Amino acid sequence: MEGELLAQQVLNGLTIGSMYALIALGYTMVYGILQLINFAHGEVFMVGSFAGLGVLLLVERIAPGAGLVPALILALLAAMAAAALLGMLVERLAYRPLRHSPRLSLLITALGLSIILQNLVMLLVGTEDRAYPDRFTEALQEGFDVGAVHVAWQQLLTLGVALAFMGALTWMVRRTRLGKAMRATAEDPITAGLMGIEADRIVALTFAMGSALAAVGGVLFGLNYSINFFIGTQAGLKAFIAAVLGGIGSLPGAVVGGLLLGLIEALGAGYVSGTWKDVFAFVILAVVLVFRPAGLLGRPVVEKV
Amino acid sequence: MNRLLHAALLVGLSGVMAWPVEAAASWKLGVAAPLTGPLAKMGADIRQGVQVAVDEVNAAGGIRGQKVALVIEDDKGDPREGMVVASKLVQSGVLGVVGHLNSGISIPASKEVYAPASVAMVTPASTNPQLTERGLKNVFRTIGRDDQQGKDAADYVLGRGIRKVAVLDNKNAYGQGLADVFRRTFVRGGGTIILSDSVTSGDKDFTPILTRIKAKQPELLFFGGEYQDAGLLAKQARRVGIRFPLMGGDGILDGTFVTLAGLKAAEGTLATGPGGTSQKGFNVVYSKRFGEPGAYSAYSYDAAHVLMAAMGRAGKPDRKAVLAAVATTRNHPGVTGRITFNAKGDQPNFKFSVWTVADGQFRLVQ
Amino acid sequence: MRAMILRVLMVIVPLILPALLLALPQGEYQLDVAMTVLLYVALGVGLNVTVGLAGLLDLGYIAFFGLGAYATAILMHGGPAQAEALGGWTYWMAVPAAVAVAGFAGLLIGLPTLRLRGDYLAIVTLAFGQIAKLTENNWDALTNGPQGMEVAKPVLFGFELRAGWQLYYILLLFVWIILWSVRNVNKSSVGRAWVAIREDEIAAASSGVNVPRTKLLAFVMGAAIAGLVGSFFAVKQGFVSPPSFDFIETVTILAMVVLGGIGSLPGVVLGAAMLAALPELLRSLPDMLGLGGQFDVTPYRMLLYGTAMVLMMAWRPEGLLPDAHRRAELHPDASGEAPDGSGEVRA
Repeated sequence: MEGELLAQQVLNGLTIGSMYALIALGYTMVYGILQLINFAHGEVFMVGSFAGLGVLLLVERIAPGAGLVPALILALLAAMAAAALLGMLVERLAYRPLRHSPRLSLLITALGLSIILQNLVMLLVGTEDRAYPDRFTEALQEGFDVGAVHVAWQQLLTLGVALAFMGALTWMVRRTRLGKAMRATAEDPITAGLMGIEADRIVALTFAMGSALAAVGGVLFGLNYSINFFIGTQAGLKAFIAAVLGGIGSLPGAVVGGLLLGLIEALGAGYVSGTWKDVFAFVILAVVLVFRPAGLLGRPVVEKV
Repeated sequence: MNRLLHAALLVGLSGVMAWPVEAAASWKLGVAAPLTGPLAKMGADIRQGVQVAVDEVNAAGGIRGQKVALVIEDDKGDPREGMVVASKLVQSGVLGVVGHLNSGISIPASKEVYAPASVAMVTPASTNPQLTERGLKNVFRTIGRDDQQGKDAADYVLGRGIRKVAVLDNKNAYGQGLADVFRRTFVRGGGTIILSDSVTSGDKDFTPILTRIKAKQPELLFFGGEYQDAGLLAKQARRVGIRFPLMGGDGILDGTFVTLAGLKAAEGTLATGPGGTSQKGFNVVYSKRFGEPGAYSAYSYDAAHVLMAAMGRAGKPDRKAVLAAVATTRNHPGVTGRITFNAKGDQPNFKFSVWTVADGQFRLVQ
Repeated sequence: MRAMILRVLMVIVPLILPALLLALPQGEYQLDVAMTVLLYVALGVGLNVTVGLAGLLDLGYIAFFGLGAYATAILMHGGPAQAEALGGWTYWMAVPAAVAVAGFAGLLIGLPTLRLRGDYLAIVTLAFGQIAKLTENNWDALTNGPQGMEVAKPVLFGFELRAGWQLYYILLLFVWIILWSVRNVNKSSVGRAWVAIREDEIAAASSGVNVPRTKLLAFVMGAAIAGLVGSFFAVKQGFVSPPSFDFIETVTILAMVVLGGIGSLPGVVLGAAMLAALPELLRSLPDMLGLGGQFDVTPYRMLLYGTAMVLMMAWRPEGLLPDAHRRAELHPDASGEAPDGSGEVRA
């Protein structure tokens, strides 16, 4: 009985953790290349989830009987596209001009952007919580039992989709030329430039990909929970903690950090206390940063004199 | 030069703010509610309920031939903002205020701002018992108190023969207060609480704690909180394989609960709330203008009418007279029931009814 | 001579402000707004010490404000479960204690984290802010949780100070204490050390500046200031509850500092005055324009903050009222005087 309870909590943890991981990847990718915390990233996630909602609502309106899977795929693609565009726009308009400004200026710009995006969305969609149309989420709530563990299709779907995209990203970074170019730029932009790699283009692509991943997380989030204009800040903070936990700048670190954070939260809430659930996450962050700032899988950063 | 600029700006800005135009004296009624922020929908319910009431009175010629003017302020659900707008309302000459929603705002505002100015505050939504326990003469409510609501909920559950429950709250002033009363009453009535915990309001993922609850196998889950969290709770409860029902208070009594939870998960959910079939007429009128009434629309409507009736009885736009008149409200025919205030400002005979979700809608059970 | 007149004006105007405002229509409300503005000015000055003078982005700043407020509430009132044990202090005794609590918290947070890089510090402080708020909400035995705590008004020589103008003068006194201390510290060797750290941390360390200790001082000072302001807030409001101490507040204060001028004291005062008065202005705007009470300006206000931050960083990062040194720091290629050789920051 105890083992099954644990198994179900682990499943819970991995489900939310995989969403954190998707967002964390975006943070880590941008940080790897620009040494910048993209505060606006959480809002891109939020926009992605609303984009998905919009598409599904549209589908309901013009093609009420459409199949679940095609509709969801459409929503996913649309959200990814919207987010990628938004991400590139943010980079181009706000970060690129400040490339050589002091760190503080960049951070404040990022913060300002985050607020702008949040409130623009709030003006557009209102403050109410919104849910993805019942028709799409209903079927997914069903599941099957493995002993006393109830596994909902929703959870499997979330995990599956998240892992698939993470796998795709990893493959892309490890095996393709583009990936190699990204790694090179992250490692040493000047030398990479000398080798013919256009840093600007790579940066734009990095933002696009990170944002697209966040959008996937956003759609999954919308399917699992409800969405409002504020989820970007909340999930963004958690995902950032995940990225730091895993080692910011490291892609596998982001994945590990995300899943681990989800597990910590689930086990904390499941075994210790629901009330203090969020505090666990923050305390973990503090501890990691104090004792091992590079995170679990990161490399210690050497400050160049 | 810079210093001069800075000093001048400070003075200048103060001057501009002194601008607010005073409307011609008539019967001024204030509304204070969270019109923006996470509770914006409930705040809108309040504003709209009052609007319907005021428009009715004005359409019939106003009070003693003079129209009622509505002064609306947004307290954003934030205590500091709430104090500022309360001050502004008082300064703009209102004779009474319908508001606030959050007990966390009603409590300090009523004492620090409204009481010194003898402004009657009739809240349609603050259910914290502490509000009326401080001996203030200017505080009234058209809604019941959480110590009443929690008790009515527990009595109902015990009455159904249920003895093992789990209790959650969302750790805000309303949710925790309600859940605590439920906990006490339920245990005193012979029940057992097999799990009691809190979640953070606004959090989205409740699967871990729901899994823990499921393992303990209670017969019912009672939740103190609003519909945003409750909807997700219901949905995820089903996702982790929970089959027993969820019950909440008036905070979940909103159509959005069903939307957020999904039809299947929402079915069978219980909630305490206002009763009264006299709401039908109100519902029709309200729906035409604003759509489906929310949890507090009817209470606000009644609160506004109570205040306006008091203004009529007082005869003149004098705060103390209006306040005295509000206190003498007896058997006012509201849509939420007959309204009589006791010395504390509560309605002594207020009884919460029980609702349930059937066929996707909340319906009265008893 | 002109400087003297200006200086006198700077002192006189705030002193007679209550008299001026109360003479206006809706005077009490105006005075209330003036106090809100002063409150934000004080917070802005405090945050400016941490962010502007020492370059440390503290995103959890509001938590120190909250700690000061709660410390005051608990000491004066006694926590719900420890009514006699802790409570019963007078306000004047509670104030230094509140400042100490906030400062101490700053010390605790600062010690292990200030050696981290800027971005990391920002996130850790953000997390700390969240933890503080969560703890205030969940530790019922000490803070009464979400229900909040009532706070009595200060008593002086047997008189209860509850009138607007009485509270205003208390706040004004606090603000002057804050301004005076910041100015003096800034003029001292510590202030010069802050400038050095801002410009080049490693060079500063090589020149003998004890970087960690200097940073810590800025951090603790900022925290202590917030604690002092928080202690006032508790008695002004008469009530403390967790929702008042939200991340969004830190953002607001940061916007003020950024707008006015990071590192510049008059700039921060200007920025705070503008942005704190703005919501009240906007609140009155619909009335002025004859629109109904339905028009909501809040999202536009937040949009304005965000846009202000982005625009300022892009176009004029030194702020609207910068000090010369800072402007030179941020526009190294601009023609004009070199930074003041003595390194003195005009405060």
